[in-house]
Amino acid sequence: MSAVRDVDPVENYLATLTTALHGPARAKAAMMREVRDGLDDAVEAQTRFGVPRVQAARRAVRDFGAADEIAPSFQRELTIAQTRRTARVAAVTAPVLVVCQLLVHTAAVDWRLGALAVHLAALATAAGLLAVTALVATGPLTRMLPTPHRLPLAVAWTATAAAVGMALAAVALGVTSALSTDWPVTALAGVLATASHGVVAASARECRRCVRAGGGAR
Amino acid sequence: MKADAVRGHLDAMLLAVLEPRPLHGYAVITAVQRRSGGALELRTGTVYPALNRLERLGLLRSRWQPVADRPRRCYELTDAGRRHLVDARSTWRDFTATIGAVLSSARHAT
Repeated sequence: MSAVRDVDPVENYLATLTTALHGPARAKAAMMREVRDGLDDAVEAQTRFGVPRVQAARRAVRDFGAADEIAPSFQRELTIAQTRRTARVAAVTAPVLVVCQLLVHTAAVDWRLGALAVHLAALATAAGLLAVTALVATGPLTRMLPTPHRLPLAVAWTATAAAVGMALAAVALGVTSALSTDWPVTALAGVLATASHGVVAASARECRRCVRAGGGAR
Repeated sequence: MKADAVRGHLDAMLLAVLEPRPLHGYAVITAVQRRSGGALELRTGTVYPALNRLERLGLLRSRWQPVADRPRRCYELTDAGRRHLVDARSTWRDFTATIGAVLSSARHAT
């Protein structure tokens, strides 16, 4: 494989660009496939006029632009796609966290668990509201208002906080289940909170990677 | 004409070449170059993210369809994209008329 990359500038270029970009797997795959198609077309157009393939490939890559100059524009789109995905996940799971906290608050045998539940419910509500705002800002409003540059970062860290909240909720529900007589409901909610934590944490982590890769939104 | 000179006008140019019919990315690039008589030196890598952005803005829609027996991502204008292109043309005409008036008045003033 590496021998192929040594002699094929297109493969080498695609490998460099793929490594530089982060974001939702499907969106990134579609983007890279489109880039590959475009480079193949450019090579084909020149070989039709008798240009040797390697030389045509070098020219196609040069005309495309240096990977480190081109990558930020691609990354910006992937960052917004990942921001929307993270916001969607947070918007769907935040109400789950709120319901979990209501269960803890109702079933808690210890007042400290009840107080923790109230705080986590407030955190979930705030995360849910920001998630919906981010979805609107990067969706219907995007033609009227430029997407705030720091929105992806804000969504990434809010989702991270929500994921931590979900982990705490899972622990609180576990403790409540152990102490409560009505444990099946709280145990089920604990499983839900754990699953939500996994999904939100993974999406938030990828969103942070996108932001680090230099893809603010414009 | 260098790529820096067309910055800010790329979106309108992409919408304009997509006005008659849907095209895939490379066909969009060749259409821009052909319409400019080869005068525009576009870095082709800037076109793909711009098409993605215009799609996100709802000005284009894309779908994978076979072109020469290969599935290609083809873009077409949405209704919002057509309206945006009309506005962009009008803005451009006003802009060139204004700058043209200033440049020619400098000649007349002497």
